[in-house]
Amino acid sequence: MSTLTRKLFRTIVNTRGQFLALIVIVALGVMIYVSMNIVYSNLAQAQQQFYEENRFADYTFLVVKAPESVVSRIEAVPGVIKATGRLQKDVTIFKDNEERAVGRLTGYPLPVKDELNNIHLLSGRSFDDIASEEIGIIADPQYAEANAIKPGKKIEILADSRKVDITVIGTAISPEFVYPMKDSSSLFPEPELFGILMMPQKQVQQILGMPGQINQVLLDLAPDADEALIKSQVGAILKPYGNIADYPRKNQSSHVVLQAQLDGIKLISTSLPLIFFLIAAGIQFVILSRLIRSQRMSIGVMKALGYNNRQIIWNYTSYALLVSLLGALAGNALGLGMASAMTVLFAQYFNLPPAAMGINLQVVVISFLISSLVAGASGLLASRSVLQINPAEAMRPQPPAIGRRTPVEDWAWLWNRLSSSWKMSLRSMFRNRTRFSVTILGVMSAVVLLMFTFLMSDATNHFFDQSFEQVNHYDYIVRFSEPIKESELLYWNGWDEVQRTEKMMEIPVKAIFSNQTVDDVIVGLEPSSQLKKVSDKYGEIHRIPEEGILINSVTADKMGLAVGDVVTVETVMGMGAVRTAQLKVMDRFEPMTGAISYVSLETANRLLGERQLVTAAMLKLDAPVMPSLEKRLKEMSRVGSVVSFSQERAVYEKLMGTVWVSIGVMLMFAVILGIAIIYNTSVMTLNERQREMASLRVLGYSKGEVAGLIRKETWLQAVIGIVLGLPSGKAVATAYLASATTEMYSLPAVIYPRSYLMVAIVAFIFVWLGQNLSIRKAGKLDMVEVLKNRE
Amino acid sequence: MPDNVLMRLKNVSKTYIMGEIKVEALKETSLEILAEEVLVILGPSGSGKSTLLNLVGGIDSSTTGEILYDEKVLTDGNDRVLTSFRRLDVGFIFQFYNLIPDLTCEENVALAAELVPEPLEVQDVLHDVGLHDRRDHFPSQLSGGEQQRVAIARAVVKRPRILLCDEPTGSLDYETGKMVLRLLVDIRNKYHSTVIIVTHNSAIGDMADRVVRMRSGEIVEIIENENPLPPERIEW
Repeated sequence: MSTLTRKLFRTIVNTRGQFLALIVIVALGVMIYVSMNIVYSNLAQAQQQFYEENRFADYTFLVVKAPESVVSRIEAVPGVIKATGRLQKDVTIFKDNEERAVGRLTGYPLPVKDELNNIHLLSGRSFDDIASEEIGIIADPQYAEANAIKPGKKIEILADSRKVDITVIGTAISPEFVYPMKDSSSLFPEPELFGILMMPQKQVQQILGMPGQINQVLLDLAPDADEALIKSQVGAILKPYGNIADYPRKNQSSHVVLQAQLDGIKLISTSLPLIFFLIAAGIQFVILSRLIRSQRMSIGVMKALGYNNRQIIWNYTSYALLVSLLGALAGNALGLGMASAMTVLFAQYFNLPPAAMGINLQVVVISFLISSLVAGASGLLASRSVLQINPAEAMRPQPPAIGRRTPVEDWAWLWNRLSSSWKMSLRSMFRNRTRFSVTILGVMSAVVLLMFTFLMSDATNHFFDQSFEQVNHYDYIVRFSEPIKESELLYWNGWDEVQRTEKMMEIPVKAIFSNQTVDDVIVGLEPSSQLKKVSDKYGEIHRIPEEGILINSVTADKMGLAVGDVVTVETVMGMGAVRTAQLKVMDRFEPMTGAISYVSLETANRLLGERQLVTAAMLKLDAPVMPSLEKRLKEMSRVGSVVSFSQERAVYEKLMGTVWVSIGVMLMFAVILGIAIIYNTSVMTLNERQREMASLRVLGYSKGEVAGLIRKETWLQAVIGIVLGLPSGKAVATAYLASATTEMYSLPAVIYPRSYLMVAIVAFIFVWLGQNLSIRKAGKLDMVEVLKNRE
Repeated sequence: MPDNVLMRLKNVSKTYIMGEIKVEALKETSLEILAEEVLVILGPSGSGKSTLLNLVGGIDSSTTGEILYDEKVLTDGNDRVLTSFRRLDVGFIFQFYNLIPDLTCEENVALAAELVPEPLEVQDVLHDVGLHDRRDHFPSQLSGGEQQRVAIARAVVKRPRILLCDEPTGSLDYETGKMVLRLLVDIRNKYHSTVIIVTHNSAIGDMADRVVRMRSGEIVEIIENENPLPPERIEW
């Protein structure tokens, strides 16, 4: 080992605390970079492979009812490689505990593998392995798990007004059910209440009493196919059969959610590590600059001995390179571990096949390259000053640092009130502008991360508050398996526990305006409804118009629909004749989630050409949960589902569990980053001002008073960083939320005032911790030793 | 025992452990320091004179022995006692001034003044050292002599009973050095403080009331000077 290298190692040992703090920052950056990128590539690859292997349809058409023979006509359309006709219908499942769930009964033409949107078996047997007379279904794994269903178990469903017993033979997933949601008014999957039931097509047709009939056509298109043209051609073929809806893959509800999640991971995987790398670079630059200044004499001696600039610069740059190397090693070790844990978690959260746990070597290599590049650049930049060191000059003692007036002194009223120690701190900060700025930026970044974290949690809470607590005032919502006369509800009002009953009508429609068609769900409510309100994402309540429609902005914007326009709606109940009506847009609102528009109950009935029909009812009871009444309701015929408000809330809160975990992890990152930054700054200040501190101790300042001086300086920088970080954090998080907005979710950037305080408190804690880690050194100060040495 | 004893050192020694070797910087030494005297400690480098000064000033602690100030023990290892002693009773002046670079002359002096309940007026002290006109200058804008005068003002402003000077003229030219010594004697006369000067320059001994000669960590002789010379008359 050369003497120069040995000197480098000594320097590292002497600055081990700072060296370690730097490694931690780099390691965190690398860890996030590596884990997020690998999770992304694993999931993206799993997604692509899953879509390919199971032939996820490029385009989907929904019709009321069509003969199977129509499929071959569609396959003849140029550009269509393959078409699959399916029968799919929601049926009621009678669960063991007398509750009901909705099953999406989906037919699969055999052999399954040849068709589009086919399935990937996870457990049990496939359709090909069962006798033709046996009725067997395959369930989605989340429904099976939530309801403790194992292969071999019988479940009872209501289909075509008949109860049918079927045997579960296995569990399977499919590209279209990666994130299974009941409809566009659902906020998230509810696996206890909604499941996918997969069955051979023939059996579905038989159970539903629709032999030879289908209601869905899935298309596989040629890569260069003209989608718009095919859409109109296929639409024309299907027109006689009651065209309900059609959508390309990019609008398929499950795909939208998965893709949005992947895009989010991608965004974080690049932006978050960048912050850590830049901060590490800034601190390294400052540390090395200081090191070179303090070792000025040694550098002078080395030069006098004949070492050239290149050797010396390389020596100092190596410090930074070692930090990056060790940081990248630690970061990769942690990142790879985290990646596999996260991949498993995501794969479970989504119904994806067990994702390939690939170690993306490219990501690993890039992480080393980026961290070395950043370190090399900051090292070289800092050690440029070596060039200016003149050996003869450097070996003489250094003149006192140059004190200067600061801009603060222009405010005499303030300056004259400051104690000498405050004046010292202020002047020293203005003298060390680079370090000062790096620290402020560092604290700012940590605060931005904190704000981001808190804003996500607030936005999520707000989302919950707005979509549940503020708008829903019912205890139970009862959905019927088919529309019923509202007079039938009168009977419920006679029940003692029922305080209030309100009617509701849910109608899936196609909204048509200026040659554009958009799927929407119209909900009919009494304008005076007390159990359900309509709120926009900002929490503003919108009135339900007596006439006309209160349209959501997602649907309106797609068609360029404005208040005052008249929109045509076509009902797509999947039964009865398709009916068309004109509705005047009375008002619009920006929903937080889903595409639901509102009309009065009367208008809804008019749409269906009916009078006094309802599809659901909301109940306000004496107590939020009443099992006996719930049981009574469930036993009634034509009741599709009975869901209590508290049950909905519980499902939501369970789902939020994963959100809290990621918020916790982010919080930890921010705190570690903050501690590392403050530790480094304080140590640098301490080292540089040992002589001053010793002088003060001799003057009679106590240990606490001297430490207070360093604290003052760090606090000043920290407070500026915190003050700047709060609004910046809000801006960054707002931008992130705006970019993460999809058709299904649009979280407003809400931050509760309490959170500003919380962020500030957490920031104060990390500043305090970072200071106390470093300031222990101040107590060990040896006055005699420090004052004796000139360098 | 004379009743004007300010400090009493009883069998005080100091041993430094430097790696694996022990350096006996000060062998067992006893000394009495009198109120309002000018005491010059003379000796070559390594004689233990600075160690003695540091022990007297409470910036270092002795290995053995006892130091009494106003008959109170300073050497019981309590940092708070030492800090308060330095704060209220001692003024230190170093060879390399050790001013705070980020504070102006006036502020350097004020920094010390803020520590005691009844300091002297900062402006008056700056007048005394002849730097009132340059009070807004930073240390980097001052010559060595001027910096040392600021250091003296900083030490004096606290009205210390003891002024400890470690090679105060060591970095100064002849004329400036004599001026600084004159200032120290004037301050003793005006504020009645004890002035202890550590130096290897034996000529300075001529201005002392008493001279302590040291060699190899021991006091070899104490000379009482009946007629101390005014600083401007000493030559080196």
